Amino acid sequence: MVVAGILLLAIIVMRMSARAPGEMSTLDRGILRIVSPAQSAMSSVARAIAGVAGRYVELVHVRAENETLQRENSRLRTELLETRRRAEESSRYQRLLGLKDLTPAETLAARVISIDASPYFRVARVDLDRGDATVRRGMPVLTPEGVVGRINRVAGSTSDIMLLVDPRSAIDVVIPRTGGRGILRGKSGENGYRCSIEYLVRGEQAREGDKVVTSGLGGAFPRDLAVGKVSKVAPANVGLYQEVEVTPDVDFARLSEVLVVVAAPPAPDPEAGTRRTSPSTPGRGLSVYR
Amino acid sequence: MRSLFTLIVAYLLLILQSTVLELAPVRMAAPSLGLLVVLHVGLSPKWSVSSSAVVAFVTGYLLDLVSGAPQGVHAFVFVLMVLFARVLSVRVAVAGIVLSAATSFVASLLAALLIVLVRAQVAPEGGYGGLRQAPLEALLTGACGPIVLGLLRRLDGRIDTTRSRVGLARGPHTLGDGLHLR
Repeated sequence: MVVAGILLLAIIVMRMSARAPGEMSTLDRGILRIVSPAQSAMSSVARAIAGVAGRYVELVHVRAENETLQRENSRLRTELLETRRRAEESSRYQRLLGLKDLTPAETLAARVISIDASPYFRVARVDLDRGDATVRRGMPVLTPEGVVGRINRVAGSTSDIMLLVDPRSAIDVVIPRTGGRGILRGKSGENGYRCSIEYLVRGEQAREGDKVVTSGLGGAFPRDLAVGKVSKVAPANVGLYQEVEVTPDVDFARLSEVLVVVAAPPAPDPEAGTRRTSPSTPGRGLSVYR
Repeated sequence: MRSLFTLIVAYLLLILQSTVLELAPVRMAAPSLGLLVVLHVGLSPKWSVSSSAVVAFVTGYLLDLVSGAPQGVHAFVFVLMVLFARVLSVRVAVAGIVLSAATSFVASLLAALLIVLVRAQVAPEGGYGGLRQAPLEALLTGACGPIVLGLLRRLDGRIDTTRSRVGLARGPHTLGDGLHLR
């Protein structure tokens, strides 16, 4: 009897969640407020352990090479690794800052605290200091490499991002070379991070290596944001649509910092029509904001 | 008391599950540690069906919140899994490393199948895909199974010892570790 009641409760919760996917109850928010700091702390610890383990492997390798040079070599290697790590981190932050500077729209930087806790839902959780800004469901999330996904749920200082490789995600995209438009969807059933373009009309054939960018239609994403590259084209001769597989530009496996676009760019200056820059200006994918 | 401790362990394991991929060289799958807690409460004769179902529901609900899945998906599947474990415990005495690992492996595969089926109902746009990574996840869960199940059995034993020391042990459930009167 109790078990039947619990099963019924689970079904009711699922139905409510299916009706309003982004909404969370006060209880859920409360639980997430407790869970998120622990997740954040655990994430930092895990990264630190991974760093130490990486350095240890390097040291073992050097020790095997030469007994005399070991101390000097290991010290230099450790320093080099640390410097590289810092340089990489600094470069990441610089690129993120660069993207932030190039984006007239209001953005917030966020740190990824967990990703893919369940392999059946491609979701990343980020921790952000949102200040006065309001983070809402559907807001685009970017990195300097391209589109990451969109905000799916918000709870306190943390938000869930539905990655563009999630099978529930749908983004209107275009292949600039052919002008072909379609809907980018995450590919479920794949171990890697891949997606496919649906409803890509069979006109000029897409080729492997073709760039894929956002079309700007649908209103959620600005146009020309880098999404990925065509990695596979099915050689089918029948049907209305092409079957195209896309590898995202963003390396989701190493996602650590992202930008959330929290407000639309300011309205264009009516007198700026003549000095408007071409769409091929640097600051990839952000020509819509110029 | 027992439920509370088990839920705290489940919470810690879920946090670990959500961040363990940081340590992995290739991020493909993580062991389903929450499922192992559910298996433990389903297999252990010290747990009644109703209390194990409650723990399974709460663990699944926590996983829904931690993983960003639609609420209720893991909660529903975990309650079904606790019933599966209960039925299994009547027919098979799950003990020892090999049997624990095998049970964890099979349970993980079954849970993956159920999650994909339920997901297709809640979020139809996701379709029925996603099972290709289930074997890898099941292998990892199977590898962690004996350790986590052993840890939870020890925890149960500790709680029994403490209860009997303070005179709170309940008659029909236990007489020491592993000896059960019915």
